[in-house]
Amino acid sequence: MTYQRTPTQDTLRYQWNVNVIGKPALRLNRWLAQLRQPKPSPYLAPPLNITPRTKELIARHYLEGRYANLHRKVAWVTSGAPAEILKALNFYVLYPENHAALCGAARTVVDIATEAENAGYSRDLCSYARTDIGALLSGKTPVGKLPKPDLLMACTNICQTVLFWYQAVAHHFRIPLILIDTPFVYTTASDQAINYVWRQLDAAVPIAERVAGDFLSSRKLEQVTRLSKLAAELWMQIIERGKHRPAPISVFDQFIHMAPIVEMRGEAYTVDFYAALLKEVEQRIAKGISAVKQERKRLLWDNLPIWYRLRFIAEKLGAHGVALVVSTYTNAWAELAPMFDPKNPMASGARTYLHAILNRGTGYKLAMMQKMIADYQLDGAILHSDRSCKPYSIGQMDQRDRLLRESGVPALLLEADHGDPRAFAEEQVANRLEAFVEMLGE
Amino acid sequence: METPVIPHRLEIIHAHKAHGGWVAAVLPIHYPRALFRAFDILPVEVWGPPRIDPTLGSAHLQPYVCSIVRNALAYLLDGRLNVADFIVVPHTCDSLQGFASILIDFVKPTQPVLPIYLPRGKRLSDLIFLTDEFKALYRTLAELTHREPSPADLMAAIEREEQADDLLAQLHHGRRNLALSQTDLYRLIRSREYLPAETFVEIAGAVVQSARSLPPPNDIPIMLSGIVPEPLTLFDALTQLNAYVAADDFAACGRRLYERGSRADPFERMAERILLAPPDSTRGSSMQDRLDHLTTLAQTTGARGIVFYDVKFCEPELFYLPVLREGLQRANLPSVVIEFDLNDGLTQQTQTRLEAFIEMIGGTQ
Repeated sequence: MTYQRTPTQDTLRYQWNVNVIGKPALRLNRWLAQLRQPKPSPYLAPPLNITPRTKELIARHYLEGRYANLHRKVAWVTSGAPAEILKALNFYVLYPENHAALCGAARTVVDIATEAENAGYSRDLCSYARTDIGALLSGKTPVGKLPKPDLLMACTNICQTVLFWYQAVAHHFRIPLILIDTPFVYTTASDQAINYVWRQLDAAVPIAERVAGDFLSSRKLEQVTRLSKLAAELWMQIIERGKHRPAPISVFDQFIHMAPIVEMRGEAYTVDFYAALLKEVEQRIAKGISAVKQERKRLLWDNLPIWYRLRFIAEKLGAHGVALVVSTYTNAWAELAPMFDPKNPMASGARTYLHAILNRGTGYKLAMMQKMIADYQLDGAILHSDRSCKPYSIGQMDQRDRLLRESGVPALLLEADHGDPRAFAEEQVANRLEAFVEMLGE
Repeated sequence: METPVIPHRLEIIHAHKAHGGWVAAVLPIHYPRALFRAFDILPVEVWGPPRIDPTLGSAHLQPYVCSIVRNALAYLLDGRLNVADFIVVPHTCDSLQGFASILIDFVKPTQPVLPIYLPRGKRLSDLIFLTDEFKALYRTLAELTHREPSPADLMAAIEREEQADDLLAQLHHGRRNLALSQTDLYRLIRSREYLPAETFVEIAGAVVQSARSLPPPNDIPIMLSGIVPEPLTLFDALTQLNAYVAADDFAACGRRLYERGSRADPFERMAERILLAPPDSTRGSSMQDRLDHLTTLAQTTGARGIVFYDVKFCEPELFYLPVLREGLQRANLPSVVIEFDLNDGLTQQTQTRLEAFIEMIGGTQ
């Protein structure tokens, strides 16, 4: 006879591990981290004071995930998906892309992605996908354990890759996949495209309800959407503080502190977190603290971060007084905030999700970079040509030429991969950065 | 039967233009042929083309973009698509999406660029959207050509395409009884990429009519899957290796065996035909649907192994391979993956791998 746990026992186990043991331990960890003095850099400002809190939030999110299957339904979603619907249905929402980014920062991608490659997934595929497929095939993850999904939601507004990737995951777990297909916006979004996305959002609800075993409350959806919008607006304000000279916060800081806006949207604690971050950034401005100690030149970063070499690139540029102050990537979670209407989440959602930067034409991205160059008083741009992200990277060669020709700023195309260090040639990158900085002049 | 005489692509293009028609250069894969024909626009597909100098394309595209897209851009920039009046880019993958976007925003060719978004499902919402997308395309073409084909014109064009597609299916399914070499068969199948439906019907009809019951070949039956069979000498090489292509799952060929539509509205009918086509990675078909399709196809045609013959960097295809290969293996269908670049030709390495695979499945009979 096999022993089976009751739902009550599962809930008790969840409460014990997450709320009684886990969260207080993480809080203690944060306090201890706040007492520790970070290793000072000769070129960069100390990390933001909020950093231990960011780490606590992320750790707490994955702690809840580790035990989530005991307690509630779990959905895996893409970073541009309308997760508000799932949040309002009380799903635990996991973002595999974020998990893969975390693996990148923890430098575990090669070990984990190799598991997927051994199973036949080509190294030419996105390293995020390989990392997450490797994690689900092997159980390897730096966060302890990932919860098994009950539902998948993939939105093609960031790439078509997610569709194939989620098809593989759906096949592996034999679970439903909700697809929100967002026609690419070459110039302007057509009415048929908006209506199409809206219809799909409507059709997603009964599927999600069936898995959740509950009905979607319009009041809850409105509340979650409002919290999402508030957090995104705060994130936008934080990014915009980079207009100040010298910039109080760098793109590297944004990469580190963007996790909650991606994977914890729709939560009150996320709003509180970004309000606190904004306050700290404003305090930095008041005290004259800059992200790069001797800011001399200001640059834009295009595309995903190179997660496993953030510090290396920050130090390399910082040594020359070069600050990366704004990024098209981190801005992606801010720029859509004004389009959300909590009172009308489905209709506004359809329009909003269509207009993600990766779902828009190469000309739009160029125009956005040109505006950033003017608004943030930039001296140049680094375009990360990311092997793992074709939709973000295609067009960069023309964009680079036009930035020089039309905006008069030089731009560097830097070949790498956001997750896989095997596609990163450190010496070559260092040389190219040095040459580019030299070209920027005094 | 003698090798059918298939008019050359340029010959067809010039003949069509000579009588006042237009030509559209169409990138892969799915698009409403009938809609273009109703406007007297001849769609001529551009699958690369292979074996050209891709340098001009490389000035705009990173090295990790596939050779179909790179070559197409190089071909266009070299002025080789000047004969076309329109450039049509179905949204097949991220790379073709980027290609269309670069054309619209930066390259700005003299011809209008017409992107078509293809939904990634076959739900009712997908049918409604694709129908609307074709209606929008109709309006654009009407504006550009100052013509307005009636619903009856559209239905007549659809009927011609359906008739051609019926014959295309007969070529695929009845290939064992056709007195054609494998290379000639595929040359004929691929002529559908540029021949007007009525010309294709004439040529393919004669070939199908001459079919007779032939004794089963002694060659080893295999199946091919991928995006496009290039170069066509691939089939000569297979013949020399005593392998016989019993069926294919190429996006350019077997995945475009569109069945006749059932709907009375011409736009819905064109959309329906594409959505109900055989499973295809680029249309987001589920892994299980593709696996079931390949397994059934192999079982009904007697194929003893499958060659996944894929263009390097083709993300939609690469994602499916592990699941498909594992499922096929469970059904006792061994497979091999061969990647190629359109500019490479049929390399010795490819031939050696094919030989090894065919020997292996031949030995396990």
